[in-house]
Amino acid sequence: MLLRTEQLTKHYGAITALDHLDLEVVPGEIVGILGPNGSGKSTALRLLLGFLRPTSGRASINGHDCWSDSVNARRFVSYLPGELRLYENMTGVQLIDFLSRLRNYKPTDRLQKLQRLFDIDIERPLAQMSSGMKRKITLMQILLPETPLVILDEPTNTLDPNMRDHLLGQLVESAQRGQAVLFSSHVLTEVEHVCDRVAILQQGRLVHWQNMRELREVRRVRVTLSQPVANLAAPENVAALENHGSDLHFQHRGPLPELLQWLAQLPVADLKMEPMGLSEIYQKYHRLNGTSS
Amino acid sequence: MTWALTRKLLRDVRVAWIVVATLTFLFQILWARVTSRVTTQILTALQGAGVSLEVLQEVLLGKEFLGQMVQAILGGEQIRLDRPDNFMSISYVHPLPLTILGIFAIGRAANAIAGEIDRGTMELLLAQPIRRTQVIVAHLVVDAIVFPALCLVLWLGTYCGTWWMGLQALGNQRVDPLHFLPALMCVFGLLFAHSGVTMWISSLGRHRPRVWGWAITIFLCMFLLNVLGQIWEEPLGWIRPYTVHYHYLPQCMILHDDWYGSANAWLHLLVLLGVGAIGYLFAWVTFCRRDLPAPL
Repeated sequence: MLLRTEQLTKHYGAITALDHLDLEVVPGEIVGILGPNGSGKSTALRLLLGFLRPTSGRASINGHDCWSDSVNARRFVSYLPGELRLYENMTGVQLIDFLSRLRNYKPTDRLQKLQRLFDIDIERPLAQMSSGMKRKITLMQILLPETPLVILDEPTNTLDPNMRDHLLGQLVESAQRGQAVLFSSHVLTEVEHVCDRVAILQQGRLVHWQNMRELREVRRVRVTLSQPVANLAAPENVAALENHGSDLHFQHRGPLPELLQWLAQLPVADLKMEPMGLSEIYQKYHRLNGTSS
Repeated sequence: MTWALTRKLLRDVRVAWIVVATLTFLFQILWARVTSRVTTQILTALQGAGVSLEVLQEVLLGKEFLGQMVQAILGGEQIRLDRPDNFMSISYVHPLPLTILGIFAIGRAANAIAGEIDRGTMELLLAQPIRRTQVIVAHLVVDAIVFPALCLVLWLGTYCGTWWMGLQALGNQRVDPLHFLPALMCVFGLLFAHSGVTMWISSLGRHRPRVWGWAITIFLCMFLLNVLGQIWEEPLGWIRPYTVHYHYLPQCMILHDDWYGSANAWLHLLVLLGVGAIGYLFAWVTFCRRDLPAPL
């Protein structure tokens, strides 16, 4: 296990920012943390980096406690902060060089590769760069050392759509190389796109774990019938069937021919089929509670 | 790793250092000019006009007249106005260079922790595998490089100023710049005390301006209490030993050849260094235990 938290809790006075979080991340997987502002996403990440002392519980990276042995834990981690503040008196290359030295890491020719990929002049002073360019510099810096764990706090903030796709592609490549990626986000589509598992936080508590492979296998199906059908004998792979007279709503998992055979027996006037997304699951916890992001 | 951080901190401080070093150097040149004017021209002119040196000395420095107030502000030693080395020694206790040096030390230390947190760069730094202790040690190393270098510039200013104004060639009245060298230990001690105390406040805070405010208030109060304690020994004299300025006695080292035989001089110096060291120790303990707040 690369990353493990056990009952990780953080209180700020009377406020509970994180409540008994149990989380595990293995090498080669991409895990997303979803939740609105104040749900505890950043607190969880900051506890993993050793920025905060847990009120109770513990977190460890590669067996190193994230608070008491934080330095050794951080040797395995690259981190992209949510609020990006850099040393404005440096150039991009100076920043990368400085942070690499702190890590005892020598930038290799991968730096040039990333520079081409991100299409950025790293010789420019950071003070003259836009926020998107600064984020690219920091992304380069965290992708360079190929640490076993990459933690990103809302990484696609301020990135244009092309760059966002590049970044997500890089994260998938990192996972294919065996690195684990843990990132928080507000954007459901990007989490759906790249994550293997997703944790949904609500007011500091982990309220749902979603395996994305399982979710991607499920289709949401809406059928409009030309006339209502009273007794429906649905196949085994159909779940959450709702019969509203001439409208059928259900979820389906498994091979399509079986479903299509069943539908062929019904007076189908219209059919809509789409992959299940995180939206419904997320809204179950947040919009219904009025805390949607 | 600490060296990489130290180099970066030295790079950060270089502009402020150059400005402060230049001002300090120029002040020494200016004071050498003032010393030359007062000791070789003004006093001679006053004596020519019938004002005796003894009367002048009594009015300006005697306890019955302005003495306590003037000495409180310009140093505690019994100096002779007609002696260039005595007059030159005032430049090491003059409030102007002390303010410049103090603000530099406070500013640097305020920036060290609270400043980094305020700017949000501490998060970037501590996301790397470095210990918080290394951050404190790096700042200590920077102090150990930057402050002695400032002291050296101060002395170079004294040397150049006294040479330029011809104060080193006044026969038995000559100013020997080498006599000013031991006083640099006091200057370093004072700077280190400012830095240590401010570092502690900085390790508690997250807003640089607030740390500045607290540190300046504390040292300004100390300065004023020391001055007031000199002027009104009763009832305020007892409070002076609790101020760092009471222990800052460079004139004692400049004007007395046998100062090193005095346990008192060493004790005062140790107090200054001790205040700085304790400040750093508290800063280390506080910083290593505290939560790192998210940038605002």
